[in-house]
Amino acid sequence: MMDLSNIFNSISFVIPEIALSITIVLTVLFDLIFDKDKKIIPYIVLVGLLVTGYFVFAQMDFANFGFTVGDEKYGMFTLDGFSNYFKIIILVTTIIIIFFSSHSNEIIKTFDRSGEYYALLLGMALGMMFMVSASDLILIYLSVELLSLSSYVLTGFTKLSERNAEASLKYLIYGSVSSGLMLFGISIVYGLTGTTNLYELNTLLQAGSINLTTLGFSLILIFVGIGYKISAAPFHFWTPDVYEGAPISITAYLSVASKAAGFALLIRFIKTSFVSYTDASGNWHLLGIFDWQTLLIIIAILTMTLGNFSALSQSNLKRMLAYSSIAHAGYLLLGLAVLSDQGLLAVLIYFFIYMIMNLGAFFIVNLIANKINSEDIHDYDGIGYTSPLLGVSLAIFLVSLTGLPPTAGFIAKLYLFIALVDANMITVAVIALLNTVVSLYYYVRVLKHMYLNKANESTQAVIPTLQPRIIVLALVIPVLLFGIYFTPIVSFAQNCLNILTK
Amino acid sequence: MLTEFGKIFIFILVAILFTIIAIYAAKLIRPSRPTKEKLDVYECGENIEGTPWVKFNIRFYVVALIFLIFDVEVVLLFPWALTYQDYGIYGFLVGIIFLVVLGLGMAYEWRKGDLEWARPTPKKVDVKFEKKNLLQTNSQINVESEN
Repeated sequence: MMDLSNIFNSISFVIPEIALSITIVLTVLFDLIFDKDKKIIPYIVLVGLLVTGYFVFAQMDFANFGFTVGDEKYGMFTLDGFSNYFKIIILVTTIIIIFFSSHSNEIIKTFDRSGEYYALLLGMALGMMFMVSASDLILIYLSVELLSLSSYVLTGFTKLSERNAEASLKYLIYGSVSSGLMLFGISIVYGLTGTTNLYELNTLLQAGSINLTTLGFSLILIFVGIGYKISAAPFHFWTPDVYEGAPISITAYLSVASKAAGFALLIRFIKTSFVSYTDASGNWHLLGIFDWQTLLIIIAILTMTLGNFSALSQSNLKRMLAYSSIAHAGYLLLGLAVLSDQGLLAVLIYFFIYMIMNLGAFFIVNLIANKINSEDIHDYDGIGYTSPLLGVSLAIFLVSLTGLPPTAGFIAKLYLFIALVDANMITVAVIALLNTVVSLYYYVRVLKHMYLNKANESTQAVIPTLQPRIIVLALVIPVLLFGIYFTPIVSFAQNCLNILTK
Repeated sequence: MLTEFGKIFIFILVAILFTIIAIYAAKLIRPSRPTKEKLDVYECGENIEGTPWVKFNIRFYVVALIFLIFDVEVVLLFPWALTYQDYGIYGFLVGIIFLVVLGLGMAYEWRKGDLEWARPTPKKVDVKFEKKNLLQTNSQINVESEN
């Protein structure tokens, strides 16, 4: 009896998620009823996302535990500034992807199945929104699965080529193996502690009566599942193939939103379960199960180095951006490896900027691929002169992805390196800096093809229509603006820094 | 002393060893006179026709999936049916929402034609190409069975 009233009291915490679920149901209904007039579906989805966004903003200053069981204080669902920050990132990305999809030839070709497409896209969004708030291993697993299953289908959605089917199959196989391992880890944690709640896990760990060797083993298994979601080395092998084979809009979505949700999950998992106390200057002191900082640094450096060096030899732009997104995951992991509030702030800022610039780069690759049916770098020869807007914008996005001064990418890297230096991790900072130099090469190579190589007979002018032009500008202007005037992002991220702990 | 899991470990060990030893012991003492028939894949005494890598109709999977969904639905509804009275109108609504969403899924399948067994109209195929392919596979099978 108690439990149910607890659940009903907690419903007010998940209003955005409920709004999103209703949108999914409406999408499916409209798909069924208005079989002929499918143009209306994206608008329904947009309205639903905006309503969801409104509810997220409405509970912005709210922090509480939801869905508690019995008389326990801690629940399955945690609402705090941190989760709201990531929910906003996920929603903004989803909205941009909706526009993105309406300008992607691959998706337009599958117009008669667009109801399915948008329903699955929202399914992914719903999974991610639960993922960033989940504070119970069961809910974590469920939301990861909801996200994964939708994305497997979407990866192979267009059915246009073998590449597409291959990507979907590879994603499915890697995904099911890693989620199986994760579930195994969760079951061991439950067997050891008798709880799946992260807060109770923390209490039990602080009391210190748990076999740490077994726990460490199970944690590694759980990290396999999360590492696969954020494509951290050595679980990144699926990324290039899947990103190359999937429709570009889905690639962009996976590389931004799905990664954001994975990071949010990782950070919350570490912060709520393994921090013994946070001191006055915001450093997290973790329980000594293993050397967290060294572990995270090793994974981060491995990830970024592998990503950057593999990107060097890529001639397919989508594949190159896939490797670059692996490298960015490495930088983000370094922000977490600082294990302090300052590092967390750097991660939040980095994510916001990464979202804008990565989506922008993918959008332009998409627009060009619409016209020339290719993502090969050699087809970009001289495109900077034939299509000035796209050329200049892509140049800005790539410079920003490198992290050079007048753009927002510089601010993101700046905060990250400040956090590293403040934590006395000079060597690590230098390695990350050298990695940035490596990344400069492959980003600038695209610029070289666009501007220094002369246009040949196969070069085509890509002049977008008004709406894509507005979207490009809406993504370029923030990149330039936040490069100079970045106080709003920083203060916004600072407000959202609190992860609810005990 | 053995823990409970230790006993299970011994069981697993014995099971694995038993299989390995049985197979190898049989291999050591049995006569080995392989013929073509003995090495063939067993197919109820029939001669083998074609490869076992046949494409099954995807509809079998669709029907199996639909069955699975409703099977799980029944499992979830049993506990609800026993206790929903205790929770008043909310308890009732929870079950109804669940049923409505499932019903929507059912309607979706129906509308999208997943419940119809009729064969879709076949696409026009390049007959020459198909024939050549067919001949090739047939001859391959013949060669394989002759070996």
